[in-house]
Amino acid sequence: MSRKKTEQEYEKTFACHFFRWLSGENDLYVGQMEMRPQEVYKESEEEAKKRQREKNILLNKIYGRKKSKSIKYLELFYRLASILFCGILIYLLLLTVSWLPPIGVADRPVNNEVSKRYIEKGLEETGAVNIVSGMILDYRAFDTLGESHVLFVATVTVLIMLRLDKKHNNGTDLSIEEAEANDRNYEPKNDAILQMSAYVLVPAIIIFGIYVILNGHLGPGGGFSGGAIIGAGLILYLNAFGFQKTERFFTEKTYKWISFGSLSFYCIAKSYSFYTGANHIESIIPKGTPGAILSSGLILPLNIAVGLVVACTMYAFYAMFRKGGF
Amino acid sequence: MFEWIRFMTGTVFLAIGIVIFAIELYGAFHYDYVLNRMHMAAFGDTFGIGISLVGLMLINGLDFTTLKMMLVILFLWCASPVSSHLIARLEAATNEKLEEHMEVEKE
Amino acid sequence: MSVFTCLLMGFLVLCAVAVSLSKNLLNSILIYMSFSLVMSIIWVILESPDLAITEAAVGAGVTSLLFFVTLKKIHAIDEKEKRKKNEQKKD
Repeated sequence: MSRKKTEQEYEKTFACHFFRWLSGENDLYVGQMEMRPQEVYKESEEEAKKRQREKNILLNKIYGRKKSKSIKYLELFYRLASILFCGILIYLLLLTVSWLPPIGVADRPVNNEVSKRYIEKGLEETGAVNIVSGMILDYRAFDTLGESHVLFVATVTVLIMLRLDKKHNNGTDLSIEEAEANDRNYEPKNDAILQMSAYVLVPAIIIFGIYVILNGHLGPGGGFSGGAIIGAGLILYLNAFGFQKTERFFTEKTYKWISFGSLSFYCIAKSYSFYTGANHIESIIPKGTPGAILSSGLILPLNIAVGLVVACTMYAFYAMFRKGGF
Repeated sequence: MFEWIRFMTGTVFLAIGIVIFAIELYGAFHYDYVLNRMHMAAFGDTFGIGISLVGLMLINGLDFTTLKMMLVILFLWCASPVSSHLIARLEAATNEKLEEHMEVEKE
Repeated sequence: MSVFTCLLMGFLVLCAVAVSLSKNLLNSILIYMSFSLVMSIIWVILESPDLAITEAAVGAGVTSLLFFVTLKKIHAIDEKEKRKKNEQKKD
């Protein structure tokens, strides 16, 4: 016969706490996290009226809603068109999904043909010893292009959110120099030991990153990992020597041109490769002997392009978070 | 016979490394003050990793991998002391009540 | 699966639970860093060194660096110290 517990005893046990936490009665985090819960924003009546008035002024003066009725119709059309566009998109995607074969069918092409072909003919068709590299940069190159663009779009979003403008500074925000000084407030600046070790380490790190990028088709590695390593090296350099030294070789313009150049090169090179491959036109790019450093056609230049984009993006993220600009 | 001696020395080195890691872990959670904890962590990071990698090198024998392990030791001995130095400098620069924890030389 | 892999897997689960249950944001970032490192070792064991390099560089290096900078920006680290000082003053 099991012993019955009193209610007070039960409340002290672990199981009671756990089930309470599960049902949400006793939140573990309330009052114990260092984050305070956000207060509910209450708008006074005057503020609401003021906001409404300002909104009306904005609509009338800039968009000229009062003057012309066509803008009103355009707005209506815009909303309808966006809803219609979304509906059509959803319909098309669902239609495509319904055409796919069901999961787990044995004679699906993915289950037998695709991987077999990649493993058996991968070396012959792509020329890359590293079969993963051959897959992601030759057969599935559009995926990698999408990855690079996702990184680029992420940087653009961070740029929009965190950027401090040099020219239009209306007194409330900090300028770039002030933001940097504020940010590096307690940081040891110009530390001799850190600078000496950065002198030794940064070239080694960057050379290792370049090695990883250039050996992407021969061994483990590739554009993304090598680019991340180079970006980490650049961040170390930035922390050791400050923004003034890095601005000598890396500015906003450099970032813009490097990412634009690499992404467009990737697009053009891959379009050429798909065009010649899909139409069975003879490609002028030689495959080379597998195993040599200059081999496997387009994979090496594509790796270099991806690596450049990733390295610049990592550095740009860090610089943007630190002081809101390059 | 020689092989056996090499293996045994490697194992002894590895065991010393593991003991040092245990000491590091105990110390890092035993002390309260930043500089003491940092000292313990840096001790494990340089001495413990160095001696365990020497043990691994002895077990592995002369090889290309041995060279890579030596490079790892070199890299860690460059990077780890510098990071501890930076933490110590930050603590000395920001803590206003430094006298409570140690003797401070007044200039 | 060898004993070593099992140990690493267990550590992975432990880290993942600890990240969500830790009350200090700085601690959870550090635990997340160790999660990434263990994950990269597991990638090596699963024979995909490509992913291991990327995981070590991105997961343990750059991501946690950005997290730290963000915490500094929103003054989550300073606030804690200020609160500690206030408590000391009250005592």
